[in-house]
Amino acid sequence: MSDTALKAPRNAPPRTAAARRTRRSAWSRRRDRRGLAFVAPFGIAFTLFTIVPLLYAIYESLFTSRIIGGTVFSGFGNYHQVLTSGAFWGGFVRVIVFGAIQIPIMLAIAFFFACVFDLGVAKASRLFRTIFFIPFAVPIVVAALMWGFLLEPSYGPITHLANAFGFGGTNFLSSGLILPSIILIAIWEWTGYNSIILYTALKSVPRDVVEAAILDDTPLWKIILKIKLPMVRPAIVMLIFLNSIGALQLFVEPEILSYQGGSITNTWTPIVDVYNTSIANAQYNLGAAMAVVLGLVIIVVSVASMIFRRQRGELS
Amino acid sequence: MTASTLASPGDTAAGPPESRRQRRKRERLQEQAAAIPVHLYGLRRGTVTLITVACVLFAIFTLVPVAWIIINSTKSQTGIFSSFAFWFSRPFDFFHNFALLFQNVDGNGTYFQWFGNTVLYAALGGGGATALAGFAGYGFARFRFRGSKAYFYVIVGALLVPVAAITLPLYLVYAKAHLINSIWGMILPSLVSPVGVYLMRTYVDLSVPRELIDAARIDGAGEARIFFRVALPLMVPGLMTVLLLSVVAVWNNYFLPLIIFTKNSLYPLTVGIGVWSQVAERSGGNSDLYPLVVMGGLVTIVPMIALFLVLQRYWRGGMLLGSIAN
Repeated sequence: MSDTALKAPRNAPPRTAAARRTRRSAWSRRRDRRGLAFVAPFGIAFTLFTIVPLLYAIYESLFTSRIIGGTVFSGFGNYHQVLTSGAFWGGFVRVIVFGAIQIPIMLAIAFFFACVFDLGVAKASRLFRTIFFIPFAVPIVVAALMWGFLLEPSYGPITHLANAFGFGGTNFLSSGLILPSIILIAIWEWTGYNSIILYTALKSVPRDVVEAAILDDTPLWKIILKIKLPMVRPAIVMLIFLNSIGALQLFVEPEILSYQGGSITNTWTPIVDVYNTSIANAQYNLGAAMAVVLGLVIIVVSVASMIFRRQRGELS
Repeated sequence: MTASTLASPGDTAAGPPESRRQRRKRERLQEQAAAIPVHLYGLRRGTVTLITVACVLFAIFTLVPVAWIIINSTKSQTGIFSSFAFWFSRPFDFFHNFALLFQNVDGNGTYFQWFGNTVLYAALGGGGATALAGFAGYGFARFRFRGSKAYFYVIVGALLVPVAAITLPLYLVYAKAHLINSIWGMILPSLVSPVGVYLMRTYVDLSVPRELIDAARIDGAGEARIFFRVALPLMVPGLMTVLLLSVVAVWNNYFLPLIIFTKNSLYPLTVGIGVWSQVAERSGGNSDLYPLVVMGGLVTIVPMIALFLVLQRYWRGGMLLGSIAN
């Protein structure tokens, strides 16, 4: 309690040229150092559990452990192995295909329902809003298990349904259909969440703009596409961004569904590959190199897209 | 967007306490007042019905797995495989299955131990993450110290680093620091929530006026006192949102506990159920674990759905934050 606004100036250091230039009173700087105290607990945890592990992973990725000879420095040997591995890039391409299909479908559905909730053009829309949000509270492990049961090739009810409609012998977990099945699960998991975010963004569209358009006899679909959509564009861009980062990390659904059938390989997605390489095969150094490559790719893509958005004036 | 749309008066104002029913009614009325009457849109007849049907269809899609897990939690293993998936069958095994959750079936672990672990991890990890995010968000929003901008950009940058890419590095550090098979290995990294810090900074910026803090300073209050007495009460709705998001994040975490725990007595629910399901599938239907997987899944999601329904108004506020954050 000693550091009050009135008392502090007396403790000010003798004025130097630099201090005069900044012209900030000493008490405000003292107070500001207290700000550091508020940030410090998070800063320490962040350093220990994000920065340190990342740096350590980079360090570990420069070594190779051999059965004979122990752990030796190998420079960029692991990176060479990762970057020239067809399987690793195959997994990368798979998650990109996954995201390129899942994200647009999900956002289209989410935007449709967000508009419905915003306009109030459905009955009982509060009830639907709550129902659509339920999957967000379901852990992905449980979601993947439930859908795994529903899509199971021999007793799964959705398989029975497909058979009844004449698609006999459909196997949703086969190598040809597993990707669409996981896309379906991801749409189930995330549509409601994205829809609520878009709904709250739509609420910030000024009412008088919409009213003026109605008075001009503008059809509703035009109000949505020409007025509302452009105004929530930043929210949509943010969602594309967040969902893309999520898609690149796809792991839980393929891991859980791999218990049920053999169509998911050990290198199916980059994170599945990292897991199997480092934990199952105990090649920690190689796994570390993979994690670093994955992290770098995501950071490069995000920074590039941020610069792109800033140039177009979409970021302040 | 202004602060007034963020926190509705009932959230922070110190008026007479409002009952839940009154609040719901007020919220509904506010929503109705804000909406433009539907008949003004000049829709064709039947459009509202058509859109409602679309909502019903998507609601069915959403509820199918939930209905399935509720119905099948009452079945025996043969019932799960041979009876119609969306209706009940004899024998009615709900209580039998539920009782199995308290036993260590086939030595693969006890469900309720995992449940307790998960509650512990989520409470300490989520609660701690919220506290750190509250302090840091306030620090970033209301102080300018040397390097504060740079620190903040590092944290925003951390939002972009995939969680999964940090998990293996954490494992490598744990192997050196003897944190494999330690509950702290699970709890401590959960304290780091860059999203929480980001949301809290935005929230403090919008809802804790600078003038109020300056007035308290002139009155001679110390910074700690100002934080706990002046700022904290105004930050509660934002903190609740961050708490909800970080508890869910810990509750759902799978990758980290999967690789750092090798003792099944330390598993959280997600890993435990995953292991059960793996054992059940590998045995080709010979193990009797399927009813446990189904019942375990149900008991995992019920607390979360209940939490969301009870705290609805906070996640709505949180999503609002999400829309500002862009």
